[in-house]
Amino acid sequence: MSNRPANLARIVVVATMGLLFAAPVAYLVLVSFAKHWTFPHLFPPQVSAELWQTIWGREQGLASSVAASIFLSVVVAVGSTLVGFVAARYVSYHRWRRGLLFLSYIPFVMSPVVLGACVHVIFLRLGLVGSTAGVIVAQMMFALGFAVIFFASFWNAERKALGEAARMLGATTLQTYRRVLLPISRQPLLLCFLQTFLFSWFQYGLTVLIGGGTVKTLPVLVYLYTGEANIYYAAAASLLLMIPPLVLLWGNRAITLRFG
Amino acid sequence: MILTVQDICKRFGQQTVLQGVTLSVAERRTLSILGRSGCGKTTLLKIIAGLVKPDSGAVRLHGTEIGQQLPEARNVVYLYQEPLLFPHLTVLENVAFGLRVRRASASEIASRTGRMLEHLGMESHAKKFPHQLSGGQKQRVAFGRAIIITPNVLLLDEPFSSLDPETRATMQQLFKQLAQEYGIASLFVTHDLKEAILMGDSIGYMADGTLTTFANRQEFINHPDYGATKEMEFWSSLRQQTTTEEYAASV
Repeated sequence: MSNRPANLARIVVVATMGLLFAAPVAYLVLVSFAKHWTFPHLFPPQVSAELWQTIWGREQGLASSVAASIFLSVVVAVGSTLVGFVAARYVSYHRWRRGLLFLSYIPFVMSPVVLGACVHVIFLRLGLVGSTAGVIVAQMMFALGFAVIFFASFWNAERKALGEAARMLGATTLQTYRRVLLPISRQPLLLCFLQTFLFSWFQYGLTVLIGGGTVKTLPVLVYLYTGEANIYYAAAASLLLMIPPLVLLWGNRAITLRFG
Repeated sequence: MILTVQDICKRFGQQTVLQGVTLSVAERRTLSILGRSGCGKTTLLKIIAGLVKPDSGAVRLHGTEIGQQLPEARNVVYLYQEPLLFPHLTVLENVAFGLRVRRASASEIASRTGRMLEHLGMESHAKKFPHQLSGGQKQRVAFGRAIIITPNVLLLDEPFSSLDPETRATMQQLFKQLAQEYGIASLFVTHDLKEAILMGDSIGYMADGTLTTFANRQEFINHPDYGATKEMEFWSSLRQQTTTEEYAASV
């Protein structure tokens, strides 16, 4: 029997998927190089790298937004991954494990924006609204909950016993983490870092609410440009928004392939 | 006495796991504790190792109370039923672990680890990772890793229960050799009557959280309640029966 219909179906599916993923990116690249692209032109009448050359100019604020976004996401991801890793260990082996885990789920019951609205008054009193520190704390509340839940299943009886074995052989708590627990947790640590980084990187509502318009991350700029109908800058900012996650995903894959 | 446990009690919720357990282990001696699953043997060992806190009672090492000491300060090693090797370290690094955390010099680590691997018959496996070893080999490495730091007391929680009979016999022999050579005192927990008699210089029997100890093997074997005599009678009658059958067949 011929496999032709099955092959054809496979090609159609792959092509459709590829188109769905690639088309928006291709469109963004095209728009970021376009000049005076108006209706009814199917393709831009002029193509120029002018936008990319001027994009790092101070007046556009893109460079500082990229820096702010990277700083914020790295701090949130590193902080929540490490704190979540240790906190989840205590939660997992605590006699009130279920209750504590339930508390960790609470930020997920609300969306980040609702969470932001809830803590807004407290943050105002603490003078955290409108500051990068405030946005970091607010995003951490969500990311940390995720990290604790993420690592809760990782801390099972075997990992507990490995930690105990290290201590009975004379390792201090720090040595136990450095020589045993962290090395055996490389994969989940990387995965959690990636997830929390992406959460922070694409966060808009919470950043606007707590950042009060002062903390301008890339997603905030994308919304701003879109609101101003500045599609060229919005496209460029969107492309910049895509780069770090792609680099991280590639890095994670490379590490996974290397270390298994 | 190197280890003295006095009147240890432990409850988990409504369940009493240990009630007034008292025992002592002399230097270079092994105390076997025989008991069924769930009788509190593991809890007792974990209390001695500092992994579980008792509700009351005292644990003394060389006469000093160690109840408040952290596990890393006790120099007491508890060996789990399954050989829990560090999966990211080679055999060599697993054995060297205790020396590394004590910041021993590189030359000392190399010489002591090499000697231990030789004792264990694991020199050719030094660079292998735990997942590349058999159950018996893993258990050897776990022994070596524990004994190389010359612990005050070694606590063994049914360490051979998952091994086949042949490997089990080899491991029992190896353990006795190592314990003697390094002068280690140990507490050996098992549910196997033969193993308890074979491994222990003295024997204890644990049931429902209480421990009965016997000064020597003979006293335990002679006691009618613990089944040793019955077991020996069974094997000797089986032997007699087989011999009679063989004789009848030959006639």
